[in-house]
Amino acid sequence: MSARRASVVGASLLALTVGACGEIDQTVKSEKIYAGKKDVRAADGAAFGGDKKKWEATLVERSKTQNEYLRTDVKK
Amino acid sequence: MARMKFICDAERCIECNGCVTACKSEHEVPWGVNRRRLVTVNDGKPGERSISVACMHCTDAPCMAVCPVDCFYKTEEGVVLHDKDLCIGCGYCFYACPFGAPQFPQAGAFGLRGKMDKCTFCAGGPEENNTEAEFKKYGRNRLAEGKLPACAEMCSTKALLAGDGEVIATIYKQRVQTRRKGEEVWGWAQAYKMDARIAPLGAKS
Repeated sequence: MSARRASVVGASLLALTVGACGEIDQTVKSEKIYAGKKDVRAADGAAFGGDKKKWEATLVERSKTQNEYLRTDVKK
Repeated sequence: MARMKFICDAERCIECNGCVTACKSEHEVPWGVNRRRLVTVNDGKPGERSISVACMHCTDAPCMAVCPVDCFYKTEEGVVLHDKDLCIGCGYCFYACPFGAPQFPQAGAFGLRGKMDKCTFCAGGPEENNTEAEFKKYGRNRLAEGKLPACAEMCSTKALLAGDGEVIATIYKQRVQTRRKGEEVWGWAQAYKMDARIAPLGAKS
């Protein structure tokens, strides 16, 4: 094998081996911005009149009723 | 601040379809659209389990990422909602969703699809709270009334829990520590990028 052929083969192998090292990130990076109508917060309805803390407390209390250990008053 | 989540306890679900019926009835969901449905694994075999599946309101929602018209938004409580006036019914969100949540009514002939419909966590949509317009497009807004989703409140065995993530995780943890099994919460790793075992056995509460 001539020196020239060997160098061509060597260069090709090197290119193949390190080819992926310089790969460009192909992930699309775009900021998604909501384009629709503005929504009203749940706490801003007629029932709570914008009192977010009262709304949150009501929901937490209601969530706790799903715990039957509390409902049946079984101490665990 | 509350971060709304669902938990389906596979150890408790008895496949009664109460959640599915409650949702259909509460929001008057049209025929052919199921915002919530039941999936049974290992049907008829030992270890059979049923899971109630709907939109999980993911932390990093894939439907939001793929929507070409950007009709999705997330409320302060982490509920993923969309604007039906903007939706073009392309179906990309359906392909992106790992839970198969987006539904499309058959609006016309030749398989024509209508605007996407999905679980709203009973939080309505981008219309004035508790109005006729909101009800027609998105269903009832129970959150604005200080109530939890109808599916969870209707669940007879309380297999389906809904509400503030911390509160329902505490309930689930107590259950697991009492019964000593069923520590994995279905769907949480996928939806909320969290360890599916929120209540490791042996852990002190």
